[in-house]
Amino acid sequence: MRLTDDVELLDGLPVAFIKSLDAIVVADLHLGYEGVMAKQGLFLPKVNLKKIFTIIKNAINKTQAKTIIVNGDIKNEFSKVDEEEFNELFDFINFVKQLDVSLILIKGNHDNFVDRYKDPFKLKIYQQEAKLGDYLFFHGEELPNDLSSGVKMLIMGHEHPAIGIFNKAGKREKLRCFLFGTFENKSILVLPAMNYFASGTDINMTNKSDLLSPVFKRMNVDEMRAIATGYGSTMDFGTIYMLREAV
Amino acid sequence: MIEFAKEPYPDEQSLSVLNSYVRDWFTKNFNELTPPQKYAFKLISEKRNILITAPTGSGKTMSGFLTIISRLFDYSLKGKLEDKVYCIYISPLRALNNDIHKNLTKPLDEIYDNIVKEKGVEIIKNNIKKVTIGVRTGDTTQQERHKMLVKPPNILVTTPESLAILLNSPKFVENLKTAEYIIIDEIHELANNKRGVHLALSVERLQHVADSRIARVGLGATLFPLEEAAKFLAGYDDGKPRDCIIVDASWSKKLDINVISPAKDLIYTKEDKIEDATYNEINDIIKSSKATLIFTNTRSGTERVVFNLKRRFKYGEDVAAHHSSLSRESRLEVEELLKKGNLKCAVSSTSLELGVDIGSIENVVQLGSPKSVTRAVQRFGRAGHSFKAVAKGEMIILNRDDLVECTIMLDAALKRHLDSFRVPQNALDVLSQHIVGMSLSDKWDVDKALDLVRHAYPYHELRKEDFVYLINYLAGNYVGLESRRVYGKIWYDEKENAFGKRGKYTRVIYMLNLGTIPDEVAVNVFTVSNKWIGNIEEEFLTKLKPGDIFTLGGRLYKFEYARGMKCFVTEAQASSPTIPPWFSEQLPLSYELANEIGEFRANFSGVVSDCIKESKIKTIFGKKSAVPKKADEFLSNFRINDNAKSAIFGYFAEQLYFAKVVPNNKLILVEFTKDVSSDKSYLIFHSLFGRRINDALSRALAIQLGEILDIDIGIMVSDNGFVFSTEEDIDIDKETLDSLVSDVTSGSIVPMLKRNIRKTELMKRRFRHVAARSFMILRNYKGYKITVGRQQVNSQLVLNAAEEIDPNFPIIKEAYREIFNDVMDLPRAEEILAKIRKGEIKYKLIETPVPSPFAHNLVTFGHADVILMKDRKKYLQSLHKLVMERIKSK
Repeated sequence: MRLTDDVELLDGLPVAFIKSLDAIVVADLHLGYEGVMAKQGLFLPKVNLKKIFTIIKNAINKTQAKTIIVNGDIKNEFSKVDEEEFNELFDFINFVKQLDVSLILIKGNHDNFVDRYKDPFKLKIYQQEAKLGDYLFFHGEELPNDLSSGVKMLIMGHEHPAIGIFNKAGKREKLRCFLFGTFENKSILVLPAMNYFASGTDINMTNKSDLLSPVFKRMNVDEMRAIATGYGSTMDFGTIYMLREAV
Repeated sequence: MIEFAKEPYPDEQSLSVLNSYVRDWFTKNFNELTPPQKYAFKLISEKRNILITAPTGSGKTMSGFLTIISRLFDYSLKGKLEDKVYCIYISPLRALNNDIHKNLTKPLDEIYDNIVKEKGVEIIKNNIKKVTIGVRTGDTTQQERHKMLVKPPNILVTTPESLAILLNSPKFVENLKTAEYIIIDEIHELANNKRGVHLALSVERLQHVADSRIARVGLGATLFPLEEAAKFLAGYDDGKPRDCIIVDASWSKKLDINVISPAKDLIYTKEDKIEDATYNEINDIIKSSKATLIFTNTRSGTERVVFNLKRRFKYGEDVAAHHSSLSRESRLEVEELLKKGNLKCAVSSTSLELGVDIGSIENVVQLGSPKSVTRAVQRFGRAGHSFKAVAKGEMIILNRDDLVECTIMLDAALKRHLDSFRVPQNALDVLSQHIVGMSLSDKWDVDKALDLVRHAYPYHELRKEDFVYLINYLAGNYVGLESRRVYGKIWYDEKENAFGKRGKYTRVIYMLNLGTIPDEVAVNVFTVSNKWIGNIEEEFLTKLKPGDIFTLGGRLYKFEYARGMKCFVTEAQASSPTIPPWFSEQLPLSYELANEIGEFRANFSGVVSDCIKESKIKTIFGKKSAVPKKADEFLSNFRINDNAKSAIFGYFAEQLYFAKVVPNNKLILVEFTKDVSSDKSYLIFHSLFGRRINDALSRALAIQLGEILDIDIGIMVSDNGFVFSTEEDIDIDKETLDSLVSDVTSGSIVPMLKRNIRKTELMKRRFRHVAARSFMILRNYKGYKITVGRQQVNSQLVLNAAEEIDPNFPIIKEAYREIFNDVMDLPRAEEILAKIRKGEIKYKLIETPVPSPFAHNLVTFGHADVILMKDRKKYLQSLHKLVMERIKSK
């Protein structure tokens, strides 16, 4: 689905493609999630990394993009580097290398310690935010700083947005979604989480005050459009306000 | 071979197996041998495996213990009694453990005192020790545990879970090697569930470490088939059941029970009057007997009865309630008062059905149907404390279906037709626990381990591939090599065909998470706008489908969705609930009993049909109508009062006049009709097979019908049938029904049901239980308890991820097995579908302007709540009036 002349949301994938940068952008991979959970007594089968590989391969095939921008939270653990995380991060970086695309990381709240891989893996890592072309990429746990006129669109992750809807039998279903709206006169795009296990927060069923990012203290989330992704397609479901009413 | 004991042994022969001190003690304290003792003393002295079933007060415990005590004193007198465990006693109830300890301490003391008196100094010279007994449960303090390790008791009294822990205690297990006997009490409470399956494996592991063969003694109330219980007790060897002899003394107590209908006409007699009559009846019974025990089936019912008895007849502290929601202290107090004979009447939901000694009860009253013959026999067996007493009791019924059900139930009880139980087979989650447990103490050859597991009856047919798949799962082989250090609880070497323990945390994980009873918790109910309303039981939530309407705190709510341990609802505009409350407490009707009721329906409807042909309608439904002679004669074969006869006859006559047909066990009546108070169409299946079977049947038929007609269908399931409802304008003709039935009976319904169940709350919760039992999500990790809510969220992640890997992942497979075999009765549902296909069970479609009399309780059961009793009655009356108008206008 085409969002602007320059930005496309790839059908059925939690991935945005930015033509002018020749890059795909994703967020919240939380690599190593299963391993970290296993240490807390929950022995999840490992599927996250495999699923991420499939999605990214798919997205690169479709777009022939030359760059992947990970908009924060590439890994899961806050305070330290888990061994399992390290392994998956390593696998991920190798995977990207094999695809022959370059990797740009924006640091998120879970990404302390990522720095130490910067040199060995020749990674491009930005602290907090990065202005690339017309776009300001930031993870979202803090407000964006650079709101200069050169920035046309803000792109963030962090919130793991989704919408909740009821099917005909009264069963509630959750769909991951992009949120698209306006922040301080600039357009803003919130990316859905890529992590397999993070099915997301259904924004239309959640109190505004319970949202994570400080961004939503400065803007009305209800005015944003929810663009849901899943089941092989990506569709505009209208504003959060309308979706709240529908529930 | 499994065989039934035939002739009891003469008393002299039974007593001759005891050593003289024990014999003297016994004859001094008891005048005679009770029926089970006449078999047990001798058989246990031969170290046979023996299963004894007998009612309360029949000296069951002594029959199991006395020979063993005698044997231990033999050792003692020879100076050979060591500080080792010789006998292990296991009961599922901690309270019972304390009871046993108390009850055995006295004889052990007295017998030893006599020996001391006679032998004097020889005691020290010849090292004649006292036989000791000790209790080990979850309540045992660290200090006591340590003491027990240093000086273990000769008779160890414990629970299934504590036994499993002891088996993995490297030091204590040394003390168990000398075990010669194991007594499993309350076997009927264990054989039909996973707790029992867990125990069966523990017993085989115990046998594996023991130096010699352990003789097994099973004690229990009546159950059927006893052969199944004997296999469970004795286990298997070389693919065949081990020898076991069954002593069935369950019927040594005579039953004197009657079914009472409080009114002749159960439809139009005002509910106040029925209530008055019921309580007066109960009060008469209480007044005329020394102590009365009343069973009500539900906790709310228990409270209501106690309240009413006190209010109406001014009872004080001599009437008391006993149910599982009360604190342990108040329950113990009631039990004590009963034992001392200080209570006139105790009212219980189910909690006093089994277990602890409650002294002398003269009369048992059952309100409403107990739903199973076995349960009825167990409950009424509570009356009359001595084995020579007669168990006196009354079943007071509350509606016409209950009446027919209880009449047949009582008849079946007197004919000793019990309902059957099954031991769950090949439960993979329980097996996971034991594989981990086994690995903690040893390195195992896979085939040798499989051999041990197959000794246990619940696994005697376990397939090797399932076993190996489990080992692979436990070894963490579903994740990459580098992660197995964290995921693996055991190591598995395929080449070496061996497995063993892995990692330093595994022992801790095992000890903290062992057991089969899932963490259940109250589910909080909120409106979708997040206002808290109250809470419901978790098991109740699993029954809810979106759109279901239920009562909570006297108001109606529509279920919308659940999130973890929260349930979200909206206020419902409907006039009645679609699902009865306390669902989890309501016991399903057993298949055998359902079948007998079906036979009764077939036979009695023939009689009634003759009566109708011979007389005019006025003589049957008129004001002064009496039960015709033929029908009266037929009903006189049953133990019911005159009111009950009138009510049953009226019920059948109405159905025959109105619908021309009474459904039975060979004929499913399918009735297409409309609701009188709304625009709903109903398709009613009069399939009297019990709720567990109807659950499976109704889902399969509803899915298929939904596809044929392309509509959403609401389902209400009960024991006597199920009802489909829709607000769409539909028409069901014979062709539609024929093609529906042929679709559903032509192949397996399993794939269809799996798809249907996959998305339900039932699956989510059962999967959580199974995943927790299989150590895939831990309930307790490194000393931290993980809340049920967290477990629930986690289990959904696991379920999704496991399905990505393999839809037949052992944990998923087991969750389906549990739902299909333990919650529902899919095997029998499939049998019934096969019979329909072959024409052995027929079906017949009728269209009725209003629901036929036999459908009334099916379409109104949603009103079954106490609070709504009056509404329900009103609705029922309106239905009945419509039917009678039709009959009379003909």
